[in-house]
Amino acid sequence: MTVRMRFPAGPDLPVDEVLPATGETPLAVGDERVVDFLTLVSRRLLAPALARRHPELGSLGFFLRRRELLRAVERLHEALGPQALAFPRGVVFHIPPANVDTIFVYSWALAALAGNINVVRVSPRSAAAADTILEVLNDSLAEADPVVARTQRMITYGHDDAVTARLSAGCDLRVVWGGDRAVNAVRQHPLAPAARDLTFPDRASFAVLSVAGWAAASPAARREAVAGFVNDAYWFDQAACSSPRAVFLVGDADRAEPVRAEFVALLGAGARDRGWEVDAAMAVEKRVGAYGLAADGAVARMAFPDNLVATMDLAALAAAPREWLGTGTFGFVTVTELAELVPFVRRQDQTLTHFGFEADELREFARQLGGRGIDRIVPFGAALRFAPIWDGYDLFREFVRLVTVEI
Amino acid sequence: MLTEVFTLRQSEKEERLRAELVELVAHHRRNCPPYDRILAALDTDPEPATLAELPWLPVRLFKTRKLASVPDDEVIRVLTSSGTTGDVSRIHLDRAAAATQSRMLARTLGTVLGPRRLPMVVVDRAGVVGDRRSYSARGAGALGMVNFGRDHLWLLDADDRPDVAALKDFLARHGDAPFLIFGFTFMVWRYLYEVARDHGLDLSQGTLVHSGGWKKLADQAVDNAEFRRRLGADTGLTRIHNFYGMVEQIGTVFLEGPEGGSLYCPDFADVIIRDPVTWEEAPVGTPGLIEVISTLPTSYPGNLLLTEDLGVVHGVDDGHWPGKRFSVLGRLPRAEARGCSDTYTGGR
Repeated sequence: MTVRMRFPAGPDLPVDEVLPATGETPLAVGDERVVDFLTLVSRRLLAPALARRHPELGSLGFFLRRRELLRAVERLHEALGPQALAFPRGVVFHIPPANVDTIFVYSWALAALAGNINVVRVSPRSAAAADTILEVLNDSLAEADPVVARTQRMITYGHDDAVTARLSAGCDLRVVWGGDRAVNAVRQHPLAPAARDLTFPDRASFAVLSVAGWAAASPAARREAVAGFVNDAYWFDQAACSSPRAVFLVGDADRAEPVRAEFVALLGAGARDRGWEVDAAMAVEKRVGAYGLAADGAVARMAFPDNLVATMDLAALAAAPREWLGTGTFGFVTVTELAELVPFVRRQDQTLTHFGFEADELREFARQLGGRGIDRIVPFGAALRFAPIWDGYDLFREFVRLVTVEI
Repeated sequence: MLTEVFTLRQSEKEERLRAELVELVAHHRRNCPPYDRILAALDTDPEPATLAELPWLPVRLFKTRKLASVPDDEVIRVLTSSGTTGDVSRIHLDRAAAATQSRMLARTLGTVLGPRRLPMVVVDRAGVVGDRRSYSARGAGALGMVNFGRDHLWLLDADDRPDVAALKDFLARHGDAPFLIFGFTFMVWRYLYEVARDHGLDLSQGTLVHSGGWKKLADQAVDNAEFRRRLGADTGLTRIHNFYGMVEQIGTVFLEGPEGGSLYCPDFADVIIRDPVTWEEAPVGTPGLIEVISTLPTSYPGNLLLTEDLGVVHGVDDGHWPGKRFSVLGRLPRAEARGCSDTYTGGR
């Protein structure tokens, strides 16, 4: 029962040697030694050569800048007030998704900043960006305080339930990404009585486009909005939980039709300009997905002008797909106002990307939803931007325990 | 070689098929509401000028949706195909469709087998047919074929080991006159070819009908030409007919001609190779995705199906039989998306 040591890079270790013997962390919340290390990592990630190769590492680099880290710590202390003190939870075991290369760093960095001992399972199927990040982490280690190497571990192992079981039993907090199946599989392995799970199950996301807002926007603003939408949709083959599966046009139905047509035209052009491609296998996948939805009666009209973009006019709002239908498959439906979406929204719904609305409209809509679904409402282009508040959790808060002192 | 079903030149076939398929599409639209909803959403032309313009379904749709054009109480058999991901196609046959498919399969194979049932070697084990109510793909293939022979020898024992003594015995009784061999391509290679070669058996009076693809033989560098060459040289077997077909178009097989190397379409069927970017028909010699066309399906809307197999047309009206001749080149890889889901699947 050994695991591959990815960080700190080294020979395979028996799983029992991955966790420190005592489980007591020598780090504090906002520990200067961790902040220094993350700052080093941030600088390397923001180096132009690297950012050109892996643009997604640039946003990670920004996220890890010293100023951002210190502000997160500061915000925590401010929110707590003088009666509560924050401490690390102890040992955090992270099981990030295989296919989204950077999630494991966000999840880990916040837990490390909170002073925890961390063990991160890096999937054996992880992509090139993950290897690059691990290289950066290992390269940064030379200049870091040795406590970092002693407390932070990134490992790779196959589908070995025994390893997962051992690490689950030894942690104080288990962070499980990767959807319902991953969560259910990992939950077969018990935690210690005082430990708990932080889970990220399957989610679905949508976009809202204001018909009036679109009409009021300049051609340049429209193109920019669509460029953002293209990024949201195509970066992870539209399969990221925060990638929009359907677009709700909000406004007058007659005026919505030309807006939709222009949006779709710009969408195709924008996706082509960015060099996205949909291969034959994916093109077939899209037909299977869209035809299936049509067979169910959910689609009034569908069109496949090329392999990049498939459009479906949904028969009703309730027909909007939550499941993945293949890269570049978009449902469209028009509603008169945002409030009409309220009965449609479920707990499962995560991100709503928006264009053309006033801030007050969106806030009012969020109030109407009352937290029953949709955890984040962000502009077109920001769907994939990781934030420390994710799926309704303030992650940094989840990574600390509180001690109260009353006089 | 007398044939009833490899007779039509391409232009005549296309016009006949187009007319019949326009009727069949209308029939399925009337009787299979999910199919009608798909075509309505696509806004398809009910009477297009060419075969290529008729609307096709992705064959995998039979794995995700129930598509039948007859009421449940008229379904006498539901065929299933196993997929690699565990999902299966479900093909609903009523009495008429079941009868038609076996009759047309018999006519097609009769072209190379002759009118009489021949003694038959099945390169599989008897148990593969199994439960008659729920067929596996391998079992259905074998079951569909056993009717074409008599005095069957099931070559493999329960542990999938070839029974050499039984094969020698079969050849002693039947090996001097025409006999039939059926099996999946890789099994024929592994269990029949190697055994026959190693024991110096004479298969020269046999006619081999085989199917299933070359993927499992690719690592041994065995392709169709090598398969034919080695069987001929080492066992004397030269009447070899590969065929291409799928449970979603049961009864329709595209059969390799006696000269080897090309598959031909029976008169009631055709293929269109589609460019995977434009989805237009690809020119002769240009590979693309195979659309299979058949007039046989009447109880489910499976007349026009886009497969996930790659193929190429070698020529039209220029081979042993008229019409298109083509090859299957392999399978499209399954589309895989990045994304947040489905990472840790544990031990299951």
